[in-house]
Amino acid sequence: MSHIVSIKTRLTDPVALSAACRRLGLAEPIAGSARLFSAEATGLLVNLPGWHYPAVVDTTSGEVKFDNYAGAWGQPEELDKLLQGYAVEKARIEARRMGHTMTEQALDNGSIKLTIQVGAGAGGGNGGAA
Amino acid sequence: MKTIEVIVSPQGQATAQTRGFTGSSCRDASRFIEQALGEKTGEQLTAEFHQVGVSQTETAKQCG
Repeated sequence: MSHIVSIKTRLTDPVALSAACRRLGLAEPIAGSARLFSAEATGLLVNLPGWHYPAVVDTTSGEVKFDNYAGAWGQPEELDKLLQGYAVEKARIEARRMGHTMTEQALDNGSIKLTIQVGAGAGGGNGGAA
Repeated sequence: MKTIEVIVSPQGQATAQTRGFTGSSCRDASRFIEQALGEKTGEQLTAEFHQVGVSQTETAKQCG
């Protein structure tokens, strides 16, 4: 190994967000505004299972706005699944764009392991312009 | 084989680890995944990071 990087996921790609929704069997995100109990938010609306209000993804900032009243109006695990699915699908899109191949493996602890083989296809390399 | 291993936690946060690289080339290799997924919150260099690849050494000799 050479180095290890920790990354906080930000949802900035509508295509990857749509792919994550398909992966989880959710309806496609819809652009618009939604009322979140006492506030209103604009972005891509994702209806999570069992949630009273949609999760609103601002792809400009990458942030998700929501109000699940500390779990009473929606299980936080559902949002976690969306974030995980997004990260996997975004990595897949970018790996493909770079000409790399990616394999996916579910781990026992609920994590998903992605192995990206660098330079496996066209466009590989270590410092090429993206 | 040069690979980037990404572990995505159940909460959606990711850890990327490069394998098979020497020197700072691993940083270039994994940068695309860091930028794609979001914001880098930490980095840990390993012993392999400080190694100079054979090809780099040979290139330096040829240039000299």
